[in-house]
Parts: sequence; C-alpha cells; structure tokens
Amino acid sequence: MLKVAIVGCGKIADAHASQILRIGGCEIVAVCDREPLMAKQLYERFPVKHYFEDLAELLAKAQPDVVHITTPAETHYKIARLCLEHGSHAYVEKPVTLNAAEAEALIALAEDRGLKLTAGHDDQFSHVTRRMRALVRSGYLGGPPVHMESSFCYDLGDPAYARALLSDKSHWVRRLPGRLLQNIISHGIARIAEFLPGDSPQVIAHGFVSPLLGGMGETEIVDELRVIISGQERTTAYFTFSSQMRPTLHEFRIYGPRNGLILDQDQETLIKVRGERYKSFAEKFIPPVALASQFLGNVKTNIGTFLRRDFHMKAGMKCLIESFYRSIAQNGPPPIPYREILVTARIMDSIFNQVASKRVPLGNGARASEERMPVEIGLRSR
Amino acid sequence: MNSVASIIGPHDLILVTGATGFMGPAVVNSLLRHGFKNVRAFVRPSSSVARLTAVANDRCEHARIESVRGNLLSPDDCRMAVQNASVIIHLATGGDKSYPDAFMNSVVTTRNLIEACRHQASLRRFVNVSSFAVYTNAEDKRIDEESRVGAIGGDAYTFAKVKQDELVTEYGQRFGFPYVIVRPGSVFGPGKEAISGRVGIDTFGVFMHLGGSNRIPLTYIDNCADAIVLAGVTPGIEGEVFNVVDDDLPSSRQFLRQYKRNVKRMRSIYIPRPVSYAFCRMWEKYSDWSEGQLPPVFNRRRWNSEWKKARYSNEKSKIKLGWTPKISMQEGLSRYFAGCREAQGA
Repeated sequence: MLKVAIVGCGKIADAHASQILRIGGCEIVAVCDREPLMAKQLYERFPVKHYFEDLAELLAKAQPDVVHITTPAETHYKIARLCLEHGSHAYVEKPVTLNAAEAEALIALAEDRGLKLTAGHDDQFSHVTRRMRALVRSGYLGGPPVHMESSFCYDLGDPAYARALLSDKSHWVRRLPGRLLQNIISHGIARIAEFLPGDSPQVIAHGFVSPLLGGMGETEIVDELRVIISGQERTTAYFTFSSQMRPTLHEFRIYGPRNGLILDQDQETLIKVRGERYKSFAEKFIPPVALASQFLGNVKTNIGTFLRRDFHMKAGMKCLIESFYRSIAQNGPPPIPYREILVTARIMDSIFNQVASKRVPLGNGARASEERMPVEIGLRSR
Repeated sequence: MNSVASIIGPHDLILVTGATGFMGPAVVNSLLRHGFKNVRAFVRPSSSVARLTAVANDRCEHARIESVRGNLLSPDDCRMAVQNASVIIHLATGGDKSYPDAFMNSVVTTRNLIEACRHQASLRRFVNVSSFAVYTNAEDKRIDEESRVGAIGGDAYTFAKVKQDELVTEYGQRFGFPYVIVRPGSVFGPGKEAISGRVGIDTFGVFMHLGGSNRIPLTYIDNCADAIVLAGVTPGIEGEVFNVVDDDLPSSRQFLRQYKRNVKRMRSIYIPRPVSYAFCRMWEKYSDWSEGQLPPVFNRRRWNSEWKKARYSNEKSKIKLGWTPKISMQEGLSRYFAGCREAQGA
C-alpha cells in the first residue's frame, strides 16, 4: 500500500484527495497545512489518518512514500526539496517552481536520490489529450510537428478569484515573478513543450494589462499575453493567454507536414484536419460533412466515457496520479518527461523576463497602506 | 432613538464585519436607530462603501462611523479592526462554492478575529451571525434553537457555517469568550433579488417549484438587523443561540404566486415532495456510485433542510431579546417585490 501525504490543504488539495481515493493500492496517511484549521478540515472530510501543521513532523511520523505538494507556488521548491531529501517522491502542483533553475535542481536531486518527481500538468492526461497523443504517435501528422497554437484563456469575471486578486495588493499571486500568468499558463505552455524539439527554445513575448483591468486601476497584473516560440528544426508555436477574448479558449492546434489536429479541452473534442484537398466544389461540401461526422463521433465518445463513470472534471489528474504511482511501483520513467517540465519552465522564464522588462513600475505601496487606515465616512454634529 | 437595555453605552465602539454586504448597511442603520453612536465598519479593500455612506448621511446625527479596510485572513488586520471595540457583530462570511475556500473565509477568519479580541478588556460581546443552513431537519418538524445541527451532506457554505458555530462555542466553553449566535432564516429585501432556494430552483428557463405548502422561514432585512443588534447588546444572554424568522410566514406557493403577480410572469412546475425526495435520493446514490462524477448537489440532507415541511419558531428571540419584527411580512414583501421590479427595469 503506497502511503500518500498532501501538503497544503486549499482548494486544489480537495481535487487531489478525491482522485487519490479513486485509485487502488494507496492511502492518504497524512495531510499538512501551516494553518492547522485548514489541515483539520481536510482530515475531517476525507479518510485521512493524521493531520499536521509542520511538514518535518509529518515526514518523520507518517513516513509517506509520496507527497503531493499543493501549496502556493512560491513554496514549492523548498517543500519539494525537503520531501525528496527525506526520501519521498514528489508530485508538485503547477507551476512546479518559480523558475527553471529551481526545477533543474529538484530534478537533479530526485535523480540523485533515485526518486520520482512530477508536475501537476494534469490537462496533459485528460481523455481528449490522450487521444490526441495516440494519434500523433501513430504518425497522423505525417512527420514532426511544423507549427502549434496553444490558447489558454482565463475569465477574470470569476468574482471570487478576481475580487481576491484585484483587491489584495499582497495576494500571493502578486509575489510570483510572472504574477497571474505564472499561476495559470503552465497547462497551455506544457502542451507546446511536449512536442517542441530541443531544450532551449527561442521566445518572443508581448504582454500587457487589458483595458478592463487598467480601467479598474490595476497596473501590475498582466492579463493579456501573445508569444511566438521557436524550437529546433524550425518547429514553431504561438501561445495566447487572454482574460478578455471570448470564448475563453482552452484549445491546442498542432499541424504536421500532412495533417493537423484541433483539441478543445473544454468540450473534450478532437478534430482531425486533413491536409489533402478535394477537387473543385467538392472541397466546399465534403469536408463540412466530414467535420460534422467527427463532432458526432466526439459526442459518442464523451457519452461513453460518462456512462463508464470516468468523465470527472479532474479525470486527467487521476490518470496522471495513477501513472506517477505506477512509475514509482515499477521504477519506470515518470509520466511527464523531465525534459518537458524543464522546457515548460524555460519558456515561462523567458516570457516573464520579457514582460517584466517592459513593465513600468508604479509602486503603489503607499496607497495600499493608506487604505488600511480608518476612514471616517460619517461624522456630523449639530 | 430607541433605548434598549444594553451591556454597553451609546458611545462604546461597535465593530461590524462584512459591513458592505447585503446585511451590513442594515445592521449599521439599526445600530444608529438604537442610539449607538460609534460604529466601525470593517470592509474588504475592494468593496464599495456607497451604501454605508448613504446610511451615514441619513442617520449619523452626533454619530461616528468609520470604515477600516482589510482582510480577516490577516491577523494584523484583525488586531487593527477590533481595537477598543466593545461589541463585535461578525457578519462576514465565505460564500465560496469550494469547501476549503468557504471554510477559510468563514472559520479561519472567525478564529483570527476571536484571537485578536479575546484578551481585549473592552470586549463585552461577540455576535456570530450564522444561518438556518446548519439545521439538518432530519427528524424535527419544528425548527428552534434546540434543533439538530450537522455538516454531513451539507454544501460548502453549510459545512463552513457549522464549523464556524462550533469554533465560537468552543472558545466560549474553554475561555469564557462572551459570544452569542444568531441564526437568520432566509433574509430578504431590496438589493437581493434572487428567490430563496427553499421556494425552488430556476433552471433551463423553467422554475422548478419545490416548496409547495411549506412555510418559508423569511426574515425581512431590517427586522433581522434589529435582532442582530439586540443580540449584541441585550444583557444576560451569553452563550445563547437565537433563530430569527418573521411572523406570518407565507407558504412557498403563496410567495411564488405573489412574486409572479408583482414582479414577473414566469413558467413554473410544481414538483411534489415525494418526487423531489426521490430525485435527491437518486442523485445522491448516482454521485456515490460514480465516485463523484456528478457532485452530490442534490441529496437528502439538502432536501430535509430546504424542502421538507417544517415549522419555525421565533419565540426565544421575542422573549429574551425583546425583538419583534417591525416590518410586517406583507410590507416586507411589497418592498422586496418593488426592489425586484426596479432591478429588472435597470
């Protein structure tokens, strides 16, 4: 029985606990949060043996085989290092670390200790992504990818998150080097990194604060990003992050020398795009029918997955966790190649450096502190 | 000014958290009407104080209202907020849909607030504003302050509110912390247009009417605010729980009929209680069977709590707090419907 621990008992820890429980051959031996109330609430809602507020104590007493690290990103490196040094395998939520150097150090440490490490790029293991990967491996593209387009959008209209982020000048997301981008874009970048040849891609990034956020007085949170990425062998990619465009796409397009594929993560659809054209007017009539047929096929696939009780919102996470545990049990390769984790981190580093170098610092700390002083809003004497 | 027997003087400082929420301005207004002249409103950094300012402009003769911006997750902000407060009315809550977020924004924040004030000499009372959602109503037919409370099967909000109440009670028992818990029913009034889920659910363009002949435990916003204020200042009620519902509660069917007549015509389908119970039971079983492929948003706990027939008592609040709902149910509904019409017109 694999002994599992979770460090960090916030929202994403719930998803981890739920998916771990769906996997046989493992048990959650402990959870930990520096806020003991948060650790206790997770312990009370899931079958967990112990809860701790100190990680060192958890590692010493619970002796977990694997630790899932679901804390804010700025703490990932330190916690993952501690776990690996203790001899526990580490599943680190995205973004794995604050920069590529930290990711390299963690991977080196894991390899040195004969341990496994994986990143929380669970979208890479969703049903539709696995179907796409199988098609690419089967040679459907007709050769190595020529070009990719990854769109990963975010609706800042989500009141809870936006309110918390925009109103709190000390929100932990603001302390990340890439701020909002760093907390969100790794899923979309990882899709590109998987198929991009080479280890050190060239990156050209353009980021800015959307007019909507700018109008709300926001000057630090870059919520619009356009990136051109170029790997070895002249494979290229575009990456788009937007909080404003609609629909809020989570889409990946990959084109080879013969055919292409279009993946829609939200709808879990995968569409094959033929490279060959029909003659004359046939091109106007046959492909739309073929596309309609493909969409119907996707509906059938999705219904089948639902009826088989495997269409959970975090089905990808379950698959990633299962694959990770299997790689530990069989001492096989990790489910996400370390090269992919590092290329993702390097692309993100380059994006954040370029965006930061173009940003004009406004320094509104004084205003923030003034706002915390009491303000009289009603004082009247006759 | 309405003079009431009070544990504090009119110039003692009263802190109101969640002061810009739906209830906040009404509570501040009620405090001023009851003659209290020193109110501190604790608000999120992003919240608008426009409604509070309107109350201040309207009511603050010889009174001082100040706003303090901060985050209850910050112990420093909590210490600043509670400084010199004699009574704390804790309205702020986490309405988040995820359990950890709701818990953090209800329970952790409450703990921070209590830790900030529990050694403070000036503190006379902490009013923890809870909810009817905590009552399971599994076996009770009459909901009063002694009715069973439970988190199992409840949604994130219910879980957080149950745990918040437990935390406050524990502080009271362990440290003699001077608390009172107020549990309002469905608070309604202008500014909150949504129909209570106890009446039914608007889905796919049709309103599924689930309440039928059940009485809806409504409390008009100003009546509820008065009860909360009285719970904050009435002597001799430490450690007590008070339910707040108005008199003359309408049935769900009566409410819906009036809503259609006064606000808008809409299609509704009545789902008899045995059918809604069977649906909730089936959904719950499917959720278990599918390992949460569909989350258990409909379950027996929710059915018992929201759609099972029950009666509601406000006797204790009337007797011990001396509270009476000043706005009649019909007047409250008229104002609510007018607010709905105005919002829809806008």
